[in-house]
Order: sequence, then C-alpha cells, then structure tokens
Amino acid sequence: MQNQKIRKSRYLWLFLLVAGMFIRVHAQDLVVRGKITDNNGEPLSGVTIAVEGTSISTASAEDGNYSLNVKDGNGTLSVTYIGYQTAKIPISNRTTIDITMEPESEELGEVVVVGYGTQTRRNLTGAIASIKADDIVTEGANTVEKSLQGRIPGVQVESAGGNPGSGVRILIRGTGSLGNNTPLYIVDGVQVDNINNLSPSDIASMDILKDASAAAIYGSRAANGVVLITTKSGRKGENKIDVDVYTGIQDIGKQLDVLDASGWATVNNMAHDNAGQERLSFAQNPESLGKGTDWQNEIYRIAPIQNYALGASGGGESYTYSLSGGYLSQDGIMDKTTYDRWNLRLKSDFTKGRVKVGETVILTKEYWRNASGGFGGQGGNPAGSAAKMIPVFNVYDPTAVGGYGGAYGPIVNIENPVAVLNLEDPEENMTKAVINAYAEVSIIEGLKYKLNLGYTNMAGYDYTYTYPYQVGTFFTNLDADLYEGRSETNTSLLEHTLTYDKAFGNHNIQALAGYTYQNSNYRILTGSKSGMPQGIKVLDAGTLNIASGSNALENTLISYFGRLVYSYDNRYVLTGILRRDGSSRFGKSNRFGNFPSIAAAWNISNEAFFDPLLAYIDQAKLRVSYGILGSQEFDDYRYNPAIYLNINSVIGQDQHLWPGAIQTAFATPDIKWETSKTLNIGADLGFFDQKLQLVADYFIKKNSDVILQVPIPLSTGASGDSPYINAGQISNRGLELSLSYTNSVNDLDYQLTGTFSTVKNEVDQLGTGSQQIFGGQPTHHGASATLTQAGLPVGAFYLIKTDGIFDSQEEIDAYVKDGQRIQPNAQPGDIRFVDHNNDGQIDENDRQYLGSPTPDFTVGVGGNLAWKGFDMNLFIQGTQGNKIYNGLRQDLEGMNLDVNYSRSTLSAWTPENRNTAMPRAVINDPNQNARTSDRFLENGSYLRLKTVQIGYTFSDALAQSLKVNRVRFYLSADNVFTITDYKGYNPDLGRVGSILDRGVDFGHVAYPLAKTFMAGVQLSF
Amino acid sequence: MKRIAYILILVLSLVGCESSLDQVNPNVVTQENFWKTENDVLTGLAATYKYLKQTTNGYWGYRVVQLQSGRGDDFFIRNDNRDMYQLSTFTNSPTTSIPGYLFTGAYTGIFRANQVIENVPNAEISEELKRQFIAEAKFLRALNYYHLVINFGAVPIHTSVPKSREEYFAAQSSEEEVWAQVISDFEEAKADLPRSYPPEWVGRATQGAAIGYLGKAYVYQSKWPEAENEFKLLAQPNGQPMAPYTYDLLADYEQNFLKEYDNNVESLFEIQVQNVGGADGWAAENANESQGVVIAYGNAPAEVGGWFQMHPTNKMFNEFQKEKTVDGDFDPRMYASIVWDYPGAMFYNRPFSEFELVFGKQSKVRKYQNWRNNNEGIDGSSEINEKALRYADVLLLYAEALIMQDRENEAYPLIDRIRNRAKLANLPTGLNRDELMAELRHQRMVEFFREGQRFYDLRRWGLLEQEIANSDKEGREYFNLARHAYFPIPQNELNTNPNIDQNPNW
Repeated sequence: MQNQKIRKSRYLWLFLLVAGMFIRVHAQDLVVRGKITDNNGEPLSGVTIAVEGTSISTASAEDGNYSLNVKDGNGTLSVTYIGYQTAKIPISNRTTIDITMEPESEELGEVVVVGYGTQTRRNLTGAIASIKADDIVTEGANTVEKSLQGRIPGVQVESAGGNPGSGVRILIRGTGSLGNNTPLYIVDGVQVDNINNLSPSDIASMDILKDASAAAIYGSRAANGVVLITTKSGRKGENKIDVDVYTGIQDIGKQLDVLDASGWATVNNMAHDNAGQERLSFAQNPESLGKGTDWQNEIYRIAPIQNYALGASGGGESYTYSLSGGYLSQDGIMDKTTYDRWNLRLKSDFTKGRVKVGETVILTKEYWRNASGGFGGQGGNPAGSAAKMIPVFNVYDPTAVGGYGGAYGPIVNIENPVAVLNLEDPEENMTKAVINAYAEVSIIEGLKYKLNLGYTNMAGYDYTYTYPYQVGTFFTNLDADLYEGRSETNTSLLEHTLTYDKAFGNHNIQALAGYTYQNSNYRILTGSKSGMPQGIKVLDAGTLNIASGSNALENTLISYFGRLVYSYDNRYVLTGILRRDGSSRFGKSNRFGNFPSIAAAWNISNEAFFDPLLAYIDQAKLRVSYGILGSQEFDDYRYNPAIYLNINSVIGQDQHLWPGAIQTAFATPDIKWETSKTLNIGADLGFFDQKLQLVADYFIKKNSDVILQVPIPLSTGASGDSPYINAGQISNRGLELSLSYTNSVNDLDYQLTGTFSTVKNEVDQLGTGSQQIFGGQPTHHGASATLTQAGLPVGAFYLIKTDGIFDSQEEIDAYVKDGQRIQPNAQPGDIRFVDHNNDGQIDENDRQYLGSPTPDFTVGVGGNLAWKGFDMNLFIQGTQGNKIYNGLRQDLEGMNLDVNYSRSTLSAWTPENRNTAMPRAVINDPNQNARTSDRFLENGSYLRLKTVQIGYTFSDALAQSLKVNRVRFYLSADNVFTITDYKGYNPDLGRVGSILDRGVDFGHVAYPLAKTFMAGVQLSF
Repeated sequence: MKRIAYILILVLSLVGCESSLDQVNPNVVTQENFWKTENDVLTGLAATYKYLKQTTNGYWGYRVVQLQSGRGDDFFIRNDNRDMYQLSTFTNSPTTSIPGYLFTGAYTGIFRANQVIENVPNAEISEELKRQFIAEAKFLRALNYYHLVINFGAVPIHTSVPKSREEYFAAQSSEEEVWAQVISDFEEAKADLPRSYPPEWVGRATQGAAIGYLGKAYVYQSKWPEAENEFKLLAQPNGQPMAPYTYDLLADYEQNFLKEYDNNVESLFEIQVQNVGGADGWAAENANESQGVVIAYGNAPAEVGGWFQMHPTNKMFNEFQKEKTVDGDFDPRMYASIVWDYPGAMFYNRPFSEFELVFGKQSKVRKYQNWRNNNEGIDGSSEINEKALRYADVLLLYAEALIMQDRENEAYPLIDRIRNRAKLANLPTGLNRDELMAELRHQRMVEFFREGQRFYDLRRWGLLEQEIANSDKEGREYFNLARHAYFPIPQNELNTNPNIDQNPNW
C-alpha cells in the first residue's frame, strides 16, 4: 500500500514536470540539448549542467544526453563533475552544445581521505599515498591488501604464503615497533582487524597515511600508519549495474628439488657409513629402489579460482546508494585446501534539509579448509613433510586404519603428507558484520556536527575432525577426534565530531573537534571429544577425552582530539593536531597519553616569483611535518600479575586430581604508552603539463618506550609469557619516491609509474643496554638465527660464519689456537667455522652480524597502455639487499637426520669428490655441519613480474547492440615469473608472527606461492 | 540555552565513560584476593609439585627423564630429536635445548615454592599449618636446587620472588653455595614436615623424604659421616626399617614400577601421575592437560606405535647377566628392567620375536613401560608414578657412606638386603674396599637402571671417562670429561641474564 502510494505520487510529479516543460517550451524559452562525453568519447552521466548565476540546472542522463531550458541565450553554462575540470561555456544562443569534459589533473584536484574528512591534495601537509579503484580491479588480486604490493612507496607488502585466503604482512615505513607492526585499518570510518574479507571490486579508494601528522588524528593505533578504505558510493543521476566475473587456474610456482628413492638411499648410506653406523635396512640397495614416491607431486595440484561480483549503484537528487554482492571460490594448490568468500555490501546516504544520514553495511562470510598442521611429528605441515618425507615409503596402505602408508624404522617421525591432508579436516568459518551509521547536521554555515556509530561483529566457528588412523608406525590415533570452537568479538564505536569550514577572503580554516569511545570484547567457547562412531561428527556422539573451555577479553579506548587546518591564498597550509588517548591496557597512572603533531605545506608554484619557472615546472609543493603518536599494541591486562588457574597435579592414595593455581608470569605495573615521533619532509612536483609527476618524501621515525616482551632469564622461573616492558628505541629513516608519466600519442594512451623506497632500520637502545633478543627459529629444533640489539637492525641475522670445507686432516690440524685444534671433532669434508671471538673453540659466542631481513630498497614498476579498445597492464616489483635464512634447506642439506635430502647433497664431499661446496654426509654430524650458521643464509633479492593483464573493451556501437553500456574482456596472470637466487619456495615469504622472525623462512610450515592465470569479463548496463 | 544544556549533557556523558577504562581480567584470580586461605596455599603447593612432572621441563617429565639417563654408559638415545641425540652423544652445545628444559623446570619450581614461602606467613591459617606448608615448599625448593647443582654445578640462587626488574638478573653462586642452600632447605623441611599424611594427601613430601634427600645430598658432597647420620634415622644397621619410620623393601622388585603399587612402603618420595584432569598428555598447564606422563610412549617400540627413543646399551645388557640367582636364573631385576630374546619372552602381549632389534642393541626397555598392555595408548599418558627416592637407594648409599669411612664390615648386611631381594646369595666375607665398591657399583647399576642415577654415580666415583670409554655407547669418542661432566649454562639464560657466566669449561 505504502509503496503504491509513493509510486502514484511519483507519476504525478513526473507528469507535472513533463507538462511544465511543454508549457515552457511552448513559451518559446531556449532549450539547449547536447551530449556530455569524457576525453575518450565515453558518455558521462550525472554531470551537473547549470546556468551560472541562476538556479537552473539539470544532470545528464545515462547516455550522456541532457536538455536544459536556459531561458536566456546569453548566459554561461557551468558544467561540473567530480574528477573533471569544471567547464564554463557561453551559450551564445546555440541549441545544441556537446561538451567534452577534461579530467582534472590528478595531482591537483584529487580528493584525499584524511580521517574524519577529506582534503584536496593541494592542501595536504602530510605524507599520504592513494590507490584508486581502477588500480585495484585490473589487478585481479583476490584480497585487497595484495593489490598494495609494490604500488606505494614506503609500504612493504609480503605475502604470508600461498595458502588460499591467507593474509599478508604490511609494514608502513619499516619496522617501527618490535611488537605489533600492523597498520590501522579503517573501512568507511570503522576500525577493523584486517581487510582480507573485503572484495577488491568494492573498493573506491585506499589512502595510506604514512607520517605522523597525517595519521595523528587516529592517534593511539596509528603509530604503524593507517590504511583508510573507502568503499564505492553511488552517483547522483546514474543507475547502473556492474557484473564482474573471472575464472582461472593456479599452479605451484616452484617445487623443491629433492631426491628420489635411489638417490636418497645413496646419500643416506654414505651418511651412515661415514658415522660408522649400520645402514638402514630399507636403504640397502639404492639401485633397486627406483624413483619411489614423489611426495610433492602427491600433494600439489592445479587449482581453480573463480569470482563473481554484481553491483548496483546510483542516486537521485537527495540520495545515493551502492549495493554489491560477490562470491569468490579459490582452491589451494595443496590438495584439499580451499577458501570461499561471500560478500554483501550496502552503502547509501540521504539528505534532507540540513541533515544527512548514511550508512555502510558490510556482511561477509568466509570459509577456509586449511592444510592440517600435521600429526605432531617432525615433518611440520604437509608442505614441510612433503619435502622431508623419505621417498621409499608408500602413499597408501589398504590394510592400515585410515588407508594410508607411512614411515617406519629407526628414522625421524615424519608424517605422510597425503595422509595428513586427508585424515585431518580443519575448517574455519568467519562471519563479519561491519556496520557504520552516521547523522550529520549543518548547524550554521560551515559548522557541522556528526554522530557516528559503528558496530562490528566477528563470529568465528572452528571445526577440526580427525579420522581414526594408523599411519606407519609413528602415528596412531584409533579414535576419531572432534574439536569445535565458537568465538565472538564485538566492537562498538561512538564518535562525536564537530567541524567548521570557513573561508575569509584568502584565509581558509578547517577545524575539527571530536571524541571517540571504542569498546571491544571477545569470548570463545571450545569443546572436544573422541570416540565418535564412524561417520558421526558431532560432540554428542563422543565418549572419550572430554574437554571444554572458555575465556574472555575486553578493552576500551577513549580519545579526545582536535585538528586545525589553516591555509592562506592556496600558498601556505598549516595543520595542527592534538589528541588525548586513554587505554584500558595500562595501569591507572599511565592510562592517558597526549599526542600532538604539526605540519606545514608551501605551494611554491602559486607564488608570483615562480611564474617564470611555470614553463618548466607546473607544480611545486614542499611539505614538512612532525608529530608524536602513541601505541598500545600489546595484550590486555598485562600491567597486573595474575594467579593462573588449572595448574593441576595429582595426589592421594586414590591418585585424584589436585587443582592448582599460582602466579606463572611477571607483570610490569608501570608500563606506559609507546610513542613514535616522525619528522617528514616531502615535495610534490609536476612537469610538462603535469604529464610527469614526482612525489618524494624523506622521513625519520623514532619509536621510543617500545612495548615489547623482552625475554627474562630462565632462572626467574616464569613459565608464562615474558613481561611486556618499555624496552627501548628504534629508528627508521627512509626515502620514498613515486614517479609517474602519463601521455597520449595518437590513439595510444599510456602511463608509466615507478615507486622506490629505502628504509634503514636500527635499534638505538634496548632494555638494559646490552640486552639481546634472539628470534627466528629456522627449523623444528634449530637454534635461533636472528638477534635484536642496540646498533643493529631489528631481527638482524646473527650467525656463526662458515669458511669452506676442510679438504684434509692437515687442514684440520693446522686450524689451531694455542696448539689446540679449534674443531677437534672435524674430519676431512667437514665445514670450517670461523672462530670469531678467537677463543679456540666454535660456539655461540662466535656468532656475528651477517645481514638484515630489511631490503636496501624495494621497487615497483607499472605500465598501463590503452589503444583503441585494447588495454594492457603490467606490474613488476622487487627487493634488493635483504637476506633470508632458509630453514627448510637446513633440514634438507643437513644430512644429519634420516629424512629426505636435496638433490644437491649428491655432490657431498668425498675423498674422490673434493671440489664441492657440500660437506660430507655424516649422520651423527660430530662437527655440527648442520648447525644454524651462515651456510643457510641466502640473498633474498628478487624481481617479479607480478601481474600482466590484457583487456579489450567493445566499441560503444557494439556494446549498445548488445544492450549494455560497456563490455570488457581480459586475460590476466599473476606471479608470472620471479628472478631470484633464493633457493626456497618464495623469496617474499615473510613469516607472520613475531617481527623478530621476519626473514627466516620456516619452511617447516610453509605454503608455496602459486602462479595464477585468469580470464574475466566486466559488464556494465 | 537549550543548546548549551545539550552540550553540557554531552560533555558529562563523555566523562562518565572513562570508568570503562578499568578492565579486570575475567580469566584469572588477582594477587590481592589470593593466598588467604588454607585452600589457596594448597592450590599453590599443587602447582609447585606439578612442575616436577611437567611434560617438557619437569625433572620427571618426558624429556628430562631421557636426559637423566641419556649420558650414561647404560643408554643409547636414537637420532630423532636432534638435541636429545646431541647430548647423549656428547656433541651438545649451550643451544642444545633439553638441558635448558631442565634448567627452566627447576627454576619454575623454585619460583613457585618461593611464592608459597613468602605468602604463607600472611595467610589466615594456624601457625602450625604455616610451619608445615613452609617446610613443604622448602623441600620442593631444595629438590629443585639439588637437580640444578648435580647437572649444572654453579647456578644462580633465588630465595625470594623478584619484586622489581633488577631482581630478575641473578648472578651465579658457587657449587658449594648451592649445596649449602640445598642442605639448609632440606634441614628446615625435615624439622617441620609430618611423617605421614592421611590417604587423601598421600604423595606429599614427608619428613622421611627430607631425611633421605639430605643424606643423598651429603653423599654427593662426600660428607660421609653427615650422610650416615641421616641414613641411620631411616634404616637399622641390618637394613631393616628404623622406627618410627616404616620404609622397607618390597618383596618383589618389579612392583616398584607397576602402577598398582604406587606409593608403596619402599618409596620415600615419588612423583604422582595419573591420567586424570584433561585428556591431552602434551598440553601446556591448563584444564586440558592430562596428569599422566608420556615417557612410556616415547620409549615404547615402533611395533606398538611408540617412538623407541631410549635403548639399553649392550654393556648394560651384559651387566644384568653378570650374576645369576641362587636358582640359576637371570637376576629378577633384569626381567623387570629389560626384555630380550629369552625363551617365552613377551612384550606388549606379543612374543618378543615379533619385535625388531634396532641399532645393534640386544634388548629393549621394560621398566616404567606398561608392557603388559597391548600398547601405550594414544596420548600415552602413563600412570606409573616415577620413584624419586626408594629405600633401596637409602640402603646402598648408607652402605657406601660406611665403606667410605672404612667400615666395610658394616656395609655387608645393607648390600645383602638388596642382593637377597634379587635372589642372590649373601656376599662372601672378606672383600676388600675396592672389591666391595665394585659390588656396590654393580648393584647400583642394575638396581637403578632407567632411574636416572648412573651418570651421576659415575661422576661421583670419578669413573665417567673409563666407563664411557669401555662401553658401546655411541659418541664415546667425543666425551671430554672437563666439558661433559656438567651441562653448560643454557644459551637462553646467557642471552637474557647479563650477570651470569658460562661454566668455565664451555
């Protein structure tokens, strides 16, 4: 009923409008008609056409056509459209005026999201980089974050493995903190933990706030930079539907070259012979063993990926809307692994009088079928065990419980990776709702009040079912196991902001005052049982090993903030920000911190004295900023020591449970805010009609009172976590350059972009001064590979250095200190280690600094070409100068364990084969050739053709004959090839988790990166 | 006016929110509300006892049990856990993780005992109970320092809970100072511990346990008269129980290692384990943790799903056969301790012939294994209490203390009690000191197989080099007495504690 009424009244209005037009036409008024197109000839809809000095205006229709009764043929049309230069066209009594809109020079007119508002790039004082929708969509990356890789100087994006649905590690301006270095993500005004769940096609823009003054308005969580995501809105006067579909395949980029059965047996026998140990019974006759099982082939596959997105958007005089839905299905290159994502997003706004209300609702559901972590053996996950599993063993054994073969005999317990993938089914589900609603009221001209309410809900459901199995002799689980866990995180956000924008002549003021309250609470409930009958997968059916649990966390952040931007005559801009933050993570006396920042910009090219230079340089701007930000990124409740429960024991003649409770860890009651101080100096330059644009920034960022869990002596007896302390100071200095060149030659439009960044990272001071923090465990049992201490980069490689191979007993005997052999256990063929501290023995005191996991520089080079209907997009990225510790190679070339080895071990040193870099094979390894040393440290530099994409857009005529506005087909390939010396799976395999482990490739639980080939179509109608 | 009122309300509502910055951890009890009642103290003690068997770090947890025997001439540990293999073949370094587990585990026990000792005086309980609880905590602290000093020598001493960050970084005390701490804590425990407990509390430290350990601590310092003074409180000169204590040998040696005979008359102190609580033998300290031990799983043969990590050396196998019983059979301790290819030999309900002998070793471990079952279960949570101190040990140490004071004759009845239980005849009279010590060494090696004594005994006797060299132990060529008699201070301690130095030989 209600709807019908509205519809009826709409018809009535339409009738009156049309009638009115007729009446006026009849009255001989001048009606101007025409078509509005962009510089490529594409029709533009929703463009505002107004007669200057009057209230007469209209908007262009979907085909770009408009008609406007201008009344007077002597007026001037003012044609405006976001992103395009405003056109002023005298009517001169014409009745047909076609208008071609010229895009605004990007650098000048671009609107940049700055947090609680927007600014034109002209007025920016801070270091902010932006990515627009086009750059994201053409990429075809399945998660938003991956499309950042290499595109923005100063932003390092490292893939976290090829696991479908896996995240990335993003570092903005280097490693500032030793704790959490994740930037703050804000989606349409709401803070979220990560943006993996967003569909790239929903993103309108990403703005990365890099320096303190830009990020200061987000204060307490902004010390690692801020990524502001704005999702797509509708446009007034435009109603369109977009369809985007792609499908493709993924394949493993690189397999490790490990031995086949006979090759393995040859090396293994050599290792046993050299140790004087009897050979393994199943390695006796290498020749008879043949190839055996290729475990990598058994688990890797060509995997499909498909994505569907449907969007509708538009708007009217007083409202805009955008609605979109999507589905992504991505199988992993490792058998059984899968990622599915469903998205639904609604964003709209309504204006009535002085009130504007709007909302964003993002609903996502994600599903992961992960690779199991393994059965608890020493193979690690299936990727790790596929490399290390001896090829002699069989994949299947129909007589075994579960049906899989496995390892047996006096060897290392490594699981059959095929069995692991099939017998353990770990699934994760996550539904997220991000809801943000606001109401904005204009109080007086220029003064606005905004109430913003945000709510996010994350509901996780984990499920792991394990089938009964007997896999070889090492892994037996005769009862089915089931674990289920449900967790929920609710975050609520309340924001009041008051803004005042006013121009007085050449003076312009933008002021902001605000308050935010954010509360987050988390709770998890878990249960597990064993012994379900076959085929029954609910806990009710279980009878054994009954366990359940729950725990909860809650934290609150309260902030008061203000910002003042003052600009004079488009020449000088000054920004000041002050913020006061309170966090529940600190004790009462240290709860609040004050964080100010100040910044200035000078548009030199707008000065009169610059005029002579304008012929060469169109634009020149200088920016300087300095600011202090706070960080509270550590666990809740850690300022107070606690008595932990369930530290249980057994007592009594009947041996009953004796419940225990005690303090297990220390706390730091006076822990306080970590602060990060950044000085940023930047310049924006434009040349040759803005065809060439350069943005350069240099920064010095110092993080003090770094919040870190510094390991404390074992002799304190803390069995729980180390206490967090304000541990020291870290500085990062860097240069970031972004260069782009845009031009058209005949029908060819092209754009070349390049980014370059370099950051130097150093720990200025840490803990007690001589404090050393070791990290980066490279193998299952191996010693740490990295050190963090004053004077070195964070997570520096700190290793014993090797110096070739002893070729003879004479060389061993000659390697002495005070007449004593330095390596008494060495035999010819063993590795010579450098006695760095010159004390006559090789031990951990001989470790030395041998490189950094941080690259000297990173580069990204992109190209966009458009010629007639064709377009091409190319993107290359790389790093130079970083080192990677190859943990998996330590296992595969160690030859000290009964596991499979790299093919390279066939060239192991023997008296007959002395000309080799591979030491002798010896299973008891008395010289510790396989110890953590620079033998396994590699150059991590690489250059990768990350994306190449070729598209074709149908001509308008053809599109219209198909009854659509736009059709584009494309072919795309990701990770096409990588040029690198690195011997592991993937040189950009960062390690998610502690920053001290960065650069240590823990191949034990790796997931190799995939190459992806895709074909897609984009439709608009 | 209205507008101003609205603004005022707004401002007031903001200020009110600041109280939500007070968040209390909902998962734990706070310090202020703990250590008040008798039950609080008992839960604190439970947490202190429990660490003795914690899977990774406990002295009777999985790895450290292997460590205790791993360096002796009686065991070979296979190369699947690289660190375990390194320490058992004398190629270990300060980064070898397992000694670090022991180190961590002992100090964790000490930290917890110190919490009890510091907080009990302020609890709302009787003075008598306070004394008893403090004595109990001191016993546990002494036991942990004892484990540290016999494995590392000079280590830091903490006798209180660090109050500030500076107190985390303790310097080493000398080996003598650590022993003095052990003695004084055991002495205080001896004074205030009860002789026994009601059935529901059996398993907690007793006065007898404190006396036994005190004697053993003196033996390690070669303080023979002091040792004798303690042992004679527990045993009569003829080896029979000494009132008021009732410790005695079980008639059947093997029963010491069967779960049905946990907390028996021969045991002065043992580690309480049972598959109760949670179901996961590998869990960290939480509600899911099974209170059993996984060592039996680690040592079980591959044929029943175990990890076959500890193997008796052939030297040990031969040692068991040195003397037959009065019936002409093998020593019953041999049957209880190992299994080999003897007629009718059964292992996990299968004929022994179905098992493969690996690494050239001739026998497999039975002791502390549930080898009369079909396997060790899935999570392998064994319920056999680990015997930390047996009356048999008291008798043999007593005998040794007498021999070392040139009172060989008084040692005979003590040794003969051990021999008689093993169905061996009385010793021939007239043995000289060396012969008697050789017999005593043989008895200790056989009696305490897999009880973590052999390596430490050899060190006391100055025989490490000789006995390792004449064994078939793998890695014997890398044995270097100066280095391997004690473990190096773990690298993780050196990395974090600027006040500590590495042991001089490392």
